[in-house]
Order: sequence, then C-alpha cells, then structure tokens
Amino acid sequence: MSENAPLLSCRGVTKRFGEVVANRDITFEVRSGQVQALLGENGAGKSTLMSVIAGRFRPDAGEIHVRGELVQFSRPADAMRMGIGMVYQRFMLVERLTVAENIRLSAHSCGIGSREADRRMAELSERYGLGVDPSRTVGSLSMGERQRAEILKLLVQNANILIFDEPTAVLSQPEAEGLFKIFDRLRQNGCGVVFITHKLEEVMAAADHISILRRGRIIASVAPGEIESKRELARLMVGREFVLAVDKPELNPGETVLELKHFAGSGASGRTGFEGVNLSVRRGEILAVIGVAGNGQSALAAAVTGNTDAGLAESGSVTFGDETVSAPDWKGHHGIAHVPEDRHNTGSVHDMTLAENYALTRLDAAGDGPWFDLSRIAKKTQKAIENYSIRATGAEDMAGSLSGGNLQKLILARELARKPELFVAEQPTQGLDIASTEEIWAALIRQRKHSGILLFSGDLKEVLTLADRIAVMFRGRILEVLDALDADAVARIGLLMAGGETAEGDSQCA
Amino acid sequence: MRIVRRTRPIRYKALVTALLAVGFALAAGALVFAGQGVNPLEAYAVMVSGALGSLNGLAEVAVKAVPLTLTGLSVAVAATMLLWNIGAEGQFVWGAIGAGWAALYLSPFLPTALVIPACLLCGALAGALWAMIPAALRVRYGVSEILTTLLLNYVAIIFMEHLYFGPWRDPMAFGFPGTPTFPEASWLPRLGKTRLHLGALVAVLAAAGLHLLLARTKWGYRIRVTGRSAQAARYAGMNTSRQTYAVMATAGALAGLAGMGEVCGIHYLIREGINPGYGYDGIIVACLAGLRPALVPVYGVVLGTFLIGADRLQSAMQLPSSIGLVLEGALLLGLLAAEAVTRFRIASGKGDDNV
Repeated sequence: MSENAPLLSCRGVTKRFGEVVANRDITFEVRSGQVQALLGENGAGKSTLMSVIAGRFRPDAGEIHVRGELVQFSRPADAMRMGIGMVYQRFMLVERLTVAENIRLSAHSCGIGSREADRRMAELSERYGLGVDPSRTVGSLSMGERQRAEILKLLVQNANILIFDEPTAVLSQPEAEGLFKIFDRLRQNGCGVVFITHKLEEVMAAADHISILRRGRIIASVAPGEIESKRELARLMVGREFVLAVDKPELNPGETVLELKHFAGSGASGRTGFEGVNLSVRRGEILAVIGVAGNGQSALAAAVTGNTDAGLAESGSVTFGDETVSAPDWKGHHGIAHVPEDRHNTGSVHDMTLAENYALTRLDAAGDGPWFDLSRIAKKTQKAIENYSIRATGAEDMAGSLSGGNLQKLILARELARKPELFVAEQPTQGLDIASTEEIWAALIRQRKHSGILLFSGDLKEVLTLADRIAVMFRGRILEVLDALDADAVARIGLLMAGGETAEGDSQCA
Repeated sequence: MRIVRRTRPIRYKALVTALLAVGFALAAGALVFAGQGVNPLEAYAVMVSGALGSLNGLAEVAVKAVPLTLTGLSVAVAATMLLWNIGAEGQFVWGAIGAGWAALYLSPFLPTALVIPACLLCGALAGALWAMIPAALRVRYGVSEILTTLLLNYVAIIFMEHLYFGPWRDPMAFGFPGTPTFPEASWLPRLGKTRLHLGALVAVLAAAGLHLLLARTKWGYRIRVTGRSAQAARYAGMNTSRQTYAVMATAGALAGLAGMGEVCGIHYLIREGINPGYGYDGIIVACLAGLRPALVPVYGVVLGTFLIGADRLQSAMQLPSSIGLVLEGALLLGLLAAEAVTRFRIASGKGDDNV
C-alpha cells in the first residue's frame, strides 16, 4: 500500500459473455475525494463493469487494484472487505425491518457488533448528513430515504469506495440534488465515488471526472471543465449528433376525454393513496402528474386504468367520454391504453415471444372468434419492430432478450395501436437511454392528435418537454395544476414536489 | 467449487431434463439390481424385451400409457396456469364412479349406441365437478390448490370404497367387495385380442385437442399468460377467477376420462385396485413432458414401458414386486435432480460459502 496510490484502479479489464464482449480493455481509476461518473447508453457495459469491480463477475483479463494492492474477488463479500460498497438500483434492504435493524444485520456479517454498529450509525449519519430515522421500517421510507439508509449501511461496514448504479433513476429532482450534496460530503471525507448514469445534467453537476463508455470501451475520459456543451457529451456517448429536445407543435385541445371529481382511493399494501383529486384531460393535450415516487401517483394511475393492484378507486366520480361512473363502480375502459410503470412484469411477459406479447392487450386483433392466429399477430409485430426501430431479430424473439428501451418501444407500439381515447403512460422513459427516450417522447407528442394523454413522471425534464399542463402531486393530493408555458409557475415545481410552502416545517431534507 | 444459478437457460431444456431423469432412474435401478445380486444389464434386457419385445407387451405398454397420458394432460393443463393439480387421483376415482353410475344405473334407459357416450360424458363430468371444489376454494378464499387437491383424493377414494362396499356392492359376489360387472354395452371396444381399448383414441385426441387449445385459441393464450405472469394477465384485463374454474374443470375432466377408461375398458367393474396411483404418475409424466400436451403421450409410453418392464422383471427374475415402485421413485428423484442441473451449474473458484 502506498499513500498516493489511487483508491481503486482498473487496468485492461475485459469481460466476455460468450461471443459478446461486454467490457474491453477498460482502464480507469478513482482517487480519494474524487467523484467519477461513468457515462454511457444502455448496453454500453456500465453495469457489467460495476459488477466486475464489486466482485459479482470475474474479469477474463486485466487487473483491479485497491489502494495499490492487486486484488481478486470471487464474491461481493470480498469486495466489501476491501471497502468497496455497491448501491444497486434495487436496494438491498429488508423492507419489513427498521433502518437500524437492517444496518445491524449487515454489520454482523462483517464482524461488527450491534452496539458498535449503533454508535457508528449515529456518528456517520451526522458526519455525512444522511438524516434517516433509524427506528423507521424501510417499507415506510421514500426512495430517497431508502437510498440514504443504504449508503449509511455501507459506510457502517467501512466502505470508502461507493459505487452507485443509476442512483437518480428512482429519485425526484430535489432528492437527486440532495444526493449530490451527500457526494460532496463523501468527497470531503476522502471517499471515492463512482456513479453510473446516462443523464448528462447530472454528470456536469456532480462529477469531478467523466469516463464515457461506448460498446464496452472507454472512449473518452475527461474533466467536466473540458467539455464545452452537453451536446458534445451526448455526441461522445451516443456516437452521433443528437437533438436534446423534441419538437412539439402547437395544438388546440379538443373535448374532455377524462374527468375525475373528488376522486379518492387507496394504494396497495399500505402505500400512499390519493384524495380530493380533480383533474380533466382533453384530447390533444398532455397532462403530466409529477411527484416524488411514493406520493400516491401509482395508486392514482391504477385507479384510473383499473388494471393493476397498485390502487383502488373508492369515492368520487369518473367521467369517460359521455359516461359518468361513481368511483367504486369504475373498472377501467377498453378505450384507455396504458403503458405501466413495471414494463418487465406487468407490461410484458418475459418468457413469451414478442408476437405473443404484442397480443397481450390486443387479443381482439389476434384472430377471428376464439382462434389465436400467431402468424397474423407476428406480421403486426414485425411492422411495429420496423416502424419503431426496435432492435430485435424478429417477432419470435423472447421479450426477456430485449433491452429495456426496446421492450418499452414494443409496449408503446402495442398500446398506440389500440387507438385509445385516453393514453396513460407511467414513467415511460425511466431507466432508458437518450435514443429510446427521444423516440418515446416523439411518439407521445404525435399521439396527442388522437387522444388525451395522462403522463405520470418523476422526471422534471420529461415533464417540461412533453406536458401542456402539469399537476404536482404530494402526499396523495394534487397541490396545483400549472400551465407548462408559465415560466414563473414552472419554477416552483421543485418546491411543490417537496411539499411546497405548506410542508416546509416538517420536511428537513429536500 | 460452488453452485451458481445459470444466467441463461440451457437449450433443449425439456429433452435434457427428460434424458437426465431417465438416465438417473436407470442408474439408480442398476444399483438396486446389483444389491439384489442381479446383473443390471440382464435385468434391463428382460425389461426391454418384456415390454417392447412382443405384440402383447407393446399392447400392455399402450394400455398403461392411456391413463398415464390422460392424467398427465390433466396435471399439465393446470400447471400451464401455475395451478398444481395433485388431485388427478381423486378426479380419476370420480371419473370411475361417474362412468360406473352411467353403466350400472343409466344404461337400462338408453339405447345401446348411447351407453358408451354416456359413460364418457358422466366420467368426464364427475371428474370436472370434483375439481370445482379446489377451484372454488382457491378463487373465493385463496386456499392453496396443492393442499386441497391432495387431501380431496382421500375423500374421493373413501367415497368410492363406501360405494362398492355398500350401496353399489354386488350381492352375488360373495366375499369380494365390488360392484356388479357392467353391462356389455358399456365395454369400450378393444383392438383384436389385446386389452388395448378405445380409451387410447380418447387419450390421443385429448392430447391433440389440448395442444390446439393452448397454442391456437385465445382461451389457451390467456391461460399461458396467466401462468407466466399473473400481473401481466391482470393488466391485460383477463379474468383469472373464471380461468381457474375452466382450467380445473378441464383438468378434472381429463383425469375423469382416465378413470372411465380403466373401469369401462379394462376391469368392467369398480373394486379395490382400480386406482394404482395413475393420478400421481400423471405428475411425473407432465413434468417429463415439460408440460407440453403434444409430448405427454410420448412420456406416457415411456413410463408405461418402465411399469410393464418392471412387471415382467418381477415374474422372470423373482425380484420383489416393489421394484416397479423403486424405479418410479428413482424417475421422480431423477426429474428433480435434472431440474437442478438445468437451473444451476457448478462454477470453479474458491470460496467456502455460497452466495
């Protein structure tokens, strides 16, 4: 070990899966007090590289050094012992236990006793400004709080190299800014941070150094100051020129397709419900419901579409077309198309073919009478694959073999083909790369001509790009509905998402 | 060395599983034979020639394959929707009771040509109705069908015993509890001098029909979706309660047809021993076939060969009669082992604990 050796350095790391080379000759390092961003599109090999560093995969070639010492991990526990902690997108916390219990549990596994763990928990939480109540159960925490609990857990286990896999994917804008403040504290305390992302703004805002990964290689390694514009960064990442905004033509909204009055309901298994919701969506407009995850949006979306168990309408009324139904009798309508939040388990069936998945909500178009005509639906699927440039070898591919972006495009194509009156999209681009995101945005804007669109999103940029009107949701209520063209109103969204003026007193962390 | 989950499924999973299972059963059987002082190769030669070496042997294999195929289909169709029908045995028994009722008590009122169709219908219907109990408990109260179908088997068997010991008992058969022999009009036609009966055609048609139903109809598509992802089925607006009833009714009817075939095609009466566990064997057949209806008859014949071969072995080499059960048990264990092999792999690399 030497004092000025980097905390972590990879030299020539290569990882193959069969024929596919996921990482090729990767060399990069993280120094003490440095925040290193690993930028790349989906499928560029970011997650594989992180898994190699965290000991989940063994590299086929190359070396990993920690504080100058050559290491070989055969499992994640080895990496943890060397101070490398991973914060995955799906947090490794037991939901039914409290934060403290979770932390003690993992502390025990590396030989730290409960009392010591509690002491460190208090001290580290203070030092890094993590601010999570250790006595709360993880299931009751917001995504941002869970992430902080996860960070605390790793710090208690002596981690000083923290790796974050797309850490802001589940966070709201204010929460993401909070995370970057934590990065600052980690930096001041001499930790090394690596975060994987494909969001350019974040890289510019939070990183000391940027490594850009494309097709398994590091194609550029730069400091944020050396980058002239986001456009240049995007070009490096994608390999071609990209327009970072989508054209949105003016459109006069038509008749109201959906109207909710005093709509209230509950969420599944103790999750936040919603109450007093008054909203209307007209044909030709995109109404975005924005909010930090866990403020009742999932329950509201489920109650409107009536096709998942995430929420249930209980009181108030729903008017769809010319028909008004009281909430308990509302069971959804076939004129509502829905892109669900969980594209892998709800929106598709991973071990069925693309053609079979394309029939999921369009069984009426899949054959005459009782017959299921696979060749007919396969033709339609093939067309969708071409029209939406979905990367697949054909309609016979398994849905599980598609990347998130391509799968989402297939689901989108299927739902658009239903010619719906109302189109409900939940987090349609969460976790997707720039190219897919743009295509999905463009498709939603095109669809405005034909339907009213109700968009649920936690991504401020997405909402500002797409929405005509913006409803901010907090703790189950719509705080305000803003005009997207009103710049003053839009500027308040971040504050409203955190509870606005009313809740300033009791929410200490943004 | 440690065991890790395979990251991608292996190719030809169903075939590999079946080959491994059969191979494991043969290897385990060889050990048992050796323990009994019998040369395993010789024993297997006797089994093969006994089961497949003569026309009569082949016909007997087919006779066994009929109920095995039907109960196999019963388990397979339910499992396609992720329902575990351990109750094919009870549904089989009810199929026998339904067919027996038609043969003994309904046939006097029917023209001869309608007696066999009536037996078929009553057998299928009785099995289907019996399967409605676990379906209703599952839909209404969320009770696991694994438990209810299994436990109801014992109820069905005891009820059948009650019938042939009590109200349906043949007063002319002294000492032997059982129903009177069915009238000849209810006997399923046989092929030549063998015991191979019309049930074989029923089994083949059922397999083809079920294959078509699952692959080519919207009904079958819905069932496949529900079995793979209940969330996706809910999202697509499918009514899983109604599907549960329909699938369990289909499964019950198939097992019921197996029971009908045994009493109307082989025994011509109901007595002890008409149900030697075909319902449970159906689980093995369905798993060997990877739940694919088109493959179920194939593995029905494979298991039939095992059973007939073991039968012949017992008489030819004076081995205990339980040798058939031993082989069948080994087949089931082999199936589980094969399942593990196809899902996990052994990785090299040091490490004293498995993650």
